[in-house]
Amino acid sequence: MTKNDEIVIRADKVSKSVDGPDGRLTILDDVGFTLARGDSLAIVGASGSGKTTLLGLLAGLDRPSSGEIMLAGERLDTLDEEARARLRRRRVGFVFQNFHLLPALNAEENVMLPLELEGSTDARTRAGEALARVGLAARKHHYPAQLSGGEQQRVALARAFVHAPEILFADEPTGNLDRRTGTAIGDLLFALNREHGTTLVLVTHDTVLAERCARRLALDGGRIVDAAAA
Amino acid sequence: MKPLTFAARSLRREFRHAELATLALALVLAVAALTGVATLASRVEHALLASAAELIGGDLSIGASRTLPQKLVDEATQRELKTSRLADFPSVVFAGEASRLADVRASDDAFPLRGVLAVRDAAGAEREVHAPPPGSVYVEPAVLSALALKIGAKIQVGGRDLVVAGEITRSPDSGNLLRLAPRVMMSLADAEAIGLLGAGSRARHRLLVAGDEAAVADYARAIKPQLPDGAEIVTIAEAQQNLSSAFERGGNFLRLAALLAALLSGIAIALAAQRFARRKREEVALLRCLGASRAEILGALLLELGLLALPACLLGVVVGLGLQQLVFAFAGDLLPGARPAIPWQPSLAAFAVGVAVLFGFALPPLLRLRDVEPMRVFRRDDARRAGRFDALYLLPVVVAAGLIAVGAGDTQLALTLSLGFAGVAAASFVLGLLLLRLVSGGGKLLPGALRFGLANLARRRALTLLQAGALALSLTAFAVLAVVGPSLLASWRAELPADTPNYFLINLQDEQRTPMQDRIAALGATNINMLPLAVGKLVAINGKTPKAEDYNDRRAASWINGETRMSWSQDLPPSNKLLQGRWFAANATDDTGAQVSVDKMWIDMFHLKLGDSLTLRVGEREIVATIASIRGVRWDSFRANFFLMLDARTGSELAHSTIASFHLPRDVSLASLSRDFANVSLIDLNQILDRVREIIGRVSRAVISVLGFSLAAGLLVLLAALAATADERRFESALLRTLGAHSAQLSAAVLGEFAALGLVAGSIAAIGSAAIGYALATRVFRFESYTPPFASLLAVVFAAAALVAIAGWLATRRIARTPPIAVLREG
Repeated sequence: MTKNDEIVIRADKVSKSVDGPDGRLTILDDVGFTLARGDSLAIVGASGSGKTTLLGLLAGLDRPSSGEIMLAGERLDTLDEEARARLRRRRVGFVFQNFHLLPALNAEENVMLPLELEGSTDARTRAGEALARVGLAARKHHYPAQLSGGEQQRVALARAFVHAPEILFADEPTGNLDRRTGTAIGDLLFALNREHGTTLVLVTHDTVLAERCARRLALDGGRIVDAAAA
Repeated sequence: MKPLTFAARSLRREFRHAELATLALALVLAVAALTGVATLASRVEHALLASAAELIGGDLSIGASRTLPQKLVDEATQRELKTSRLADFPSVVFAGEASRLADVRASDDAFPLRGVLAVRDAAGAEREVHAPPPGSVYVEPAVLSALALKIGAKIQVGGRDLVVAGEITRSPDSGNLLRLAPRVMMSLADAEAIGLLGAGSRARHRLLVAGDEAAVADYARAIKPQLPDGAEIVTIAEAQQNLSSAFERGGNFLRLAALLAALLSGIAIALAAQRFARRKREEVALLRCLGASRAEILGALLLELGLLALPACLLGVVVGLGLQQLVFAFAGDLLPGARPAIPWQPSLAAFAVGVAVLFGFALPPLLRLRDVEPMRVFRRDDARRAGRFDALYLLPVVVAAGLIAVGAGDTQLALTLSLGFAGVAAASFVLGLLLLRLVSGGGKLLPGALRFGLANLARRRALTLLQAGALALSLTAFAVLAVVGPSLLASWRAELPADTPNYFLINLQDEQRTPMQDRIAALGATNINMLPLAVGKLVAINGKTPKAEDYNDRRAASWINGETRMSWSQDLPPSNKLLQGRWFAANATDDTGAQVSVDKMWIDMFHLKLGDSLTLRVGEREIVATIASIRGVRWDSFRANFFLMLDARTGSELAHSTIASFHLPRDVSLASLSRDFANVSLIDLNQILDRVREIIGRVSRAVISVLGFSLAAGLLVLLAALAATADERRFESALLRTLGAHSAQLSAAVLGEFAALGLVAGSIAAIGSAAIGYALATRVFRFESYTPPFASLLAVVFAAAALVAIAGWLATRRIARTPPIAVLREG
């Protein structure tokens, strides 16, 4: 395996601007970095600095206005939305600040979702194992509304790792949780990350959580102001 | 992803939400109404045909001026069909010195194949019979009284003495106005032996055929090429105009009610789907984010709809069949002996229409979900592409138009409904905009809470317009059903008032007019109407001899080959409406020339127009009359009506008799009348009048039961429309309460908002339903007079405003009770 093969994410001169009421608004400006397999990166910065936009672009949820992004060996700008969706399905997992569990599905069914999208035949068994791993084996038939915030985020973690993605994108995973629960979720996130050898990209305000990542990228006004390795 | 599993699971879980339940219920109502009405209509039509078969004595009649070839009988026998031969001809019958023109029917002993021939014998006992045995006759009472005979006496027919074996009490074609004389029935063998059917006879020969419906239809097709010249097939569908017209109107009423139920259901479905789609946006964004393709998501959504549609439509079919079974149990009594099986086609069609309505109305908001960006998982912005026209939203319009076009079964009904509802939708859009402008301009003068409520309307511009439209459409349908419908039914009943003519007199001579008028008036007759009647033949149209094969309408042949009756009058007769041209001027001079007013059906059948000329031969005279006007004639009015009305000056010069119609209480005996005016034939219409009245009564009741469905659908729309806003106001209501607003303030805001909406929608509905009602009365049902019930409609406006306000308040009250924190936490 060459060094180049190990680069899982590469952003090159990535910019994003949108039309606002007062003219064109630049959200990201000339962002560039690379991330190797198994690495972990925390994107930090004040509200409105462009963190979430960058995360969305890296995950292929949106297209940059200019620049190039490579994700798991594929150039995202050459892929249409459907191809990007296929790429996410196979190789990407997500954790969100608002958990984003489907209220109509119970915990087990929520975890089964990525497996079902892949067409997996043993989705239920694997979802059960994943829930057991996050300590919620006994609550697999509960619906999101019947779970606490911390429990919901654990279900979300089980869902994110259940199909063993190469890359995990996490958007403020502890942002909606109290400090103690947040710490526990952080521990679980990094433990799972280690076990699966996943490449982690994390957007957070939480400095403690950010410091647990191998690398940090600080954004201000859409530009990288600091890129540091821990 | 396994779309089916996913869809099934989504459906199972989401069914507890109001939207899907609304969708399902709306679908059940639509399919039930459509199934019920279409099945009922089909069964009643079959029963009517069967009953008409009883009136002509068979399922099919082949008529010709010569004896029909034996091969037609053989062909029928081969197909295991029953046949009966008969011949009708006029003949003068004698009893001593007395004589009477009679309409003689000679038949073999198979007659009638359908229906009942009953006679009363000398002992007064009534029994069902077939044609009389050779050597005897059955006669109608008028023959007995005219010839002063008793049962058992002899009469002479064609010079041969025959015994009167019974008095006809029921026969298959009683009430036929084309018969000019009372009936004498004899055996076909006698008629042939006496030589009444030989060359030069004026007999009309008929072969009646009866049997399995499909076999009869096959037979009709097979023998068509073998028919001799001038022979024609008469099917039972053409047999009874009075009854079929009543059924046709009844059918229109039922279709109207069912269509409105389906359209209302469509609106309820559209509103519920809108809500459903809004709630689904987060889920779709997440699934997109996790890598589901658009096709998979849409596939799962469509499957979910399909899984919902299947049981809902099935349930609708079952409910509809149950409903029609109930109604048919009542209506079926009208149609003696007929118990047609439940046809499966209407259920299938209603099922298909149900699916079309669901997908047609629900797809647009659901397909919009494909535009949901995966980035929505991070940002809940509703970046709407404002102002962009989406062709998808034409889909419900297309489905609604298709539904109306197919379901109405009548162009005028389809047109009236389409234009009416399009008008209501347009008016609600315009008035809705006006209301929004008013609210944002003048609302400042109002008290705080009310102002806040009205400001809500202005803030949710699109939703306000959507709601105003949905409310106006559903309230219009509601008003048409609840207020206009009953008033239309009342108009229908009024078409046959208590003094509707129940007797006809024909063959009255000029000098008998006054004595007859005095006589029947003395008996207590009312509504007496006398019109001259001339019998002639259509010789040429615009100078050319018409040929039956030049006209598509098969009925043309009978007028080209047969006789035509015509009349004249100074004034336009009642039950006639001038459609084009002018009625004859009273002061016509010789220069004017002969003029004729022609019924619309003739105009269409012979492709005529104003100014065309008709050459008519009456006796030795030939007249060329210019078409001066076109009339619409109500053939079910129980009055003497004519396709051709001549100007009075031309008509009075023709050889003619008089036809009179009048109303007389049933218990008055007319026996002396028949005796004293021996040449005059009396036709008793009481039986047929009873049947038409009964049909109207029963159809009215059937319509009301279908109306129930439509009203339920209307209520569902109202609730769906209100539920849509309840979602919207959840959050803001919680926020306001957190900021200290008390519940009275919130209630006032909600009441103000909904009352304004209800007032706008109710006003449009009142005006719209009055206009639709008027158009239905004049264009579809063709009532002589109709005034929309304005007072009741005005009440609808206020009732609607109040109902909407209260229902809105009830729908949002639940929100007010929820602790604000619970709502705010949901975000």
